[in-house]
This record gives sequence, C-alpha cells and structure tokens, in this order.
Amino acid sequence: MKTSFKLTLLVALFAAIFFSSCSYNTMVEKQEATSSQWAQVQNAYQRRADLIPNLVATVKGYAKHEEGTLTAVIEARAKATQITIDPTKLTEENIQKYQQAQGQLGAALGRLMMVKESYPDLKANQNFMALQDELTGTENRIAVERNKFNTVVQDYNQYIRKFPQVIWAGWFGFSKKGYFEADAGAKNAPKVEF
Amino acid sequence: MKQLNLKLFFQLLILLLSGWSVSSHAQEIPKPMNPPRLVNDFAGIFSEEQKQDLEIILRAYNDSTSTQIYVVTVNDLQGYPASDFAFKLGEQWKIGQKGKNNGAVVLIKPKAGNSRGDLYIATGYGLEEKLTDARCGRIMDQYMIPYFRQSDYYSGTKSGVEVMIKYLSGQFKAEKKGDKMNTGGVIAFVILIILAIIIFSNIGKNGRNNGNSGRGGGGMFIPPIFGGGGRRSGNDDFGGFGGFGGGGGGSFGGGGGGRSW
Repeated sequence: MKTSFKLTLLVALFAAIFFSSCSYNTMVEKQEATSSQWAQVQNAYQRRADLIPNLVATVKGYAKHEEGTLTAVIEARAKATQITIDPTKLTEENIQKYQQAQGQLGAALGRLMMVKESYPDLKANQNFMALQDELTGTENRIAVERNKFNTVVQDYNQYIRKFPQVIWAGWFGFSKKGYFEADAGAKNAPKVEF
Repeated sequence: MKQLNLKLFFQLLILLLSGWSVSSHAQEIPKPMNPPRLVNDFAGIFSEEQKQDLEIILRAYNDSTSTQIYVVTVNDLQGYPASDFAFKLGEQWKIGQKGKNNGAVVLIKPKAGNSRGDLYIATGYGLEEKLTDARCGRIMDQYMIPYFRQSDYYSGTKSGVEVMIKYLSGQFKAEKKGDKMNTGGVIAFVILIILAIIIFSNIGKNGRNNGNSGRGGGGMFIPPIFGGGGRRSGNDDFGGFGGFGGGGGGSFGGGGGGRSW
C-alpha cells in the first residue's frame, strides 16, 4: 500500500517534470499560436469575399458587356468560400488547396479590376473608388496575415523538429504544419501585349 | 572564489554582448528617434517650427486618447513597397497601445528628382473600424496629395492628420496614465527595497554560515535586479520630462492605403 503510493507519487512527479520542463507546454503554446494566426488569415480572406458582391454590383451598373468577367469572379468566390480548413489540420496539402482556390479568386478579381480602364465613368464613381481602396487594403491584410502565419509556423516547425522535442512531439500528435508559398502565377513574369 | 567570480563576470559579459549585437542588427527599418517623438522627420522636409506644430497636435491627441499617430518621413524605402515599409515600421516601433492596437503611421517619401513620391497611411488593428481603407484613400486624395504635388508637405500632413483625428474622435479614451505609472513606480520601489533587504540579510547569514559559496550566489543575483529597477525608474523619469514614452506595443494587420504622386 505504502509502496504503491510512493510509486504514484514518483510517477506524478516524473510526469510533472516531463510536461513542464520537457517542452510539452511550449509545444502546446506554439501550436495554439499557429491556430489563432490561421484564424486571422481566414478573416482577411473572408473580408475579401465579403467585398465582392458589392463590387460586382457596382461594376455591373457601368460595364454591362463584361458578363464573362463578372460571372468568373462570382464562380471563383463560391469555390473559394467553400474551402475552409480546420485549424488542427493545417497540413501542407490543405494549405496548398486553400491557397489555390483563393489564388483563382484573386486572379479573377484582378481581371475585373482591369475592366475599369475601358469605363471612365466607372473609374470616376465615388463608390467604386472606395471599394477599390478597400480591396487594395484587403489584399494588403491578406499579405500581412499570411506573412505572420508563416513566421509563427516556422517557429513551431523549428521547435518540434529540434532535439529533444523531436523524440516525443509525434507521440502527442504535434506534426509539421504547412506554409503559404508564393502564388503559382507570381513565378511567371507578366506578359505585355499590344 | 575570486576566480569563480571573474569567470561568471566574463560569461555574463559575453551573454550581454551577444544579446546586444543581435538586437542592434535587426532590420533596415530605421530606429525611432531619441527621445521618442511622434514626428520622425528622417527626410528633413519640415522646418523646426513645423515639426513642433505637428508634434503638439499629435501629442495632444495621444495624451487625451492614447491613440498614437506617427508621422514618419524617409528618403529611401530600402527597396520595400511603401505599404510593407509602413507595416514593418509600425510593428517594430510598437506603435499604439497594447491590446487596443490604436496606432497609425503616416509614411511620407518625398518626391525627389525622377523618383515618385510615396504616401502611405497604415492603421493598426484597432483603428480599422473608424479609419477604413476607403476613408484613408479619401483623406489622401482630398487633403494631402494636392498639397504634396506642390511640395507643401507641412500643409498636406497637417490637414491630413487633422481629418484623421476627426474620423477617430470618440473611439478611444486615455486611461489616467500618469497616476497609474506613478503608483506603479512607488510599489516597484518598495518591493525593490524589501527585496534588497532580504537579499542583504541573507548574504549576511550565508556569509556566516556557509562562507564563500553563499556570498558568490548573492553577488550574482543582485545586478540583474538592480539593473531592472534602474531602467524602470529611468523610463518613468522620461515619461515625466518628455511627456511621451514611445510606442506602447500596438500591432498592425495591413489596414490603410497608399498613394503615389
């Protein structure tokens, strides 16, 4: 009886030391940081998705001949908003998928914003100008939050892959998380055609 | 024992030096001017009186609302886009109060020769609601850029900042910072004295009981505590004298907008 009590005490002590000093708590903190930063990233993307209906409505009023571009944006938006990632499953694959869907929406939006050049009335519209500022700001927010996410993930990945954490990180399900890569389209230099 | 202390001293020195070199080597973003101020005119586009005038407006707003609007002018963006430069600067200078994130950066790169002028208003997380990107755009288009086109940086900045303040008014209230800091300082001072008494009395005891090893431990512990205390009281002094203590730990998330001319 007494020895078993001593044994539990010993185990408890060992567990306490293990969890506090052997980086388990730090791993939890760092993982939590990636989850909360992921929420910020999704927020920024959501903000862009929320702007689109307004933007499309404004452009429609001026540029009636751009049906194709407008529907492309609406479709890309629908596709992009379908994909959300559970913050516990931030694998490279999932992030790539998410980024791809959002990238397509970004490209469609880019084409929509090009349309304005052929409609001077639209370009001068106060509402459109405001929306344009909001959209640029949103793209900035996405870039900033993605950057912060990559930094946090790098910190986390580095930590769980270092010795000695690397030995037991896997036991508790701490796995490597994915990064945002440069957009696929950014690799190709833009074409200028006259 | 002397050898041990010498060794410890060197180890501490190396630690300190290595820490120093890391912190001083951070990025190409300039460091805030010293003493801390809200108008950081690195490019030198304002005269002394203009600087002072802007500083008074911004300082008064900071004192009444704790919202920090920094005006920063640079001649070189170090290869960054103006937006990146402004966000990085805001994050590194910790502009705005922690938790409220109520800081803003008005970044001006004056037009010089063939290079374009760049203007960017970066808003902290907490200001995005009132100072939306669209409003930033309108402020720049209507109140700032027209002056900047004529190289009248002072009038443009002043009218822009005044409109920003108008939009923001009523959003934040300053806590009674001075009182709080003073009581905090008093408490810290009392704790320090108590700690010092405990440590010194312990050293006395150890010296008698254990001899040299105890004294070595005590000697090692005192410097960091006193270092911390000294720095703290220094900061408070500064707050009293200059009236402005620099950035408060705010964070930026990409809000705001920019223009070139």
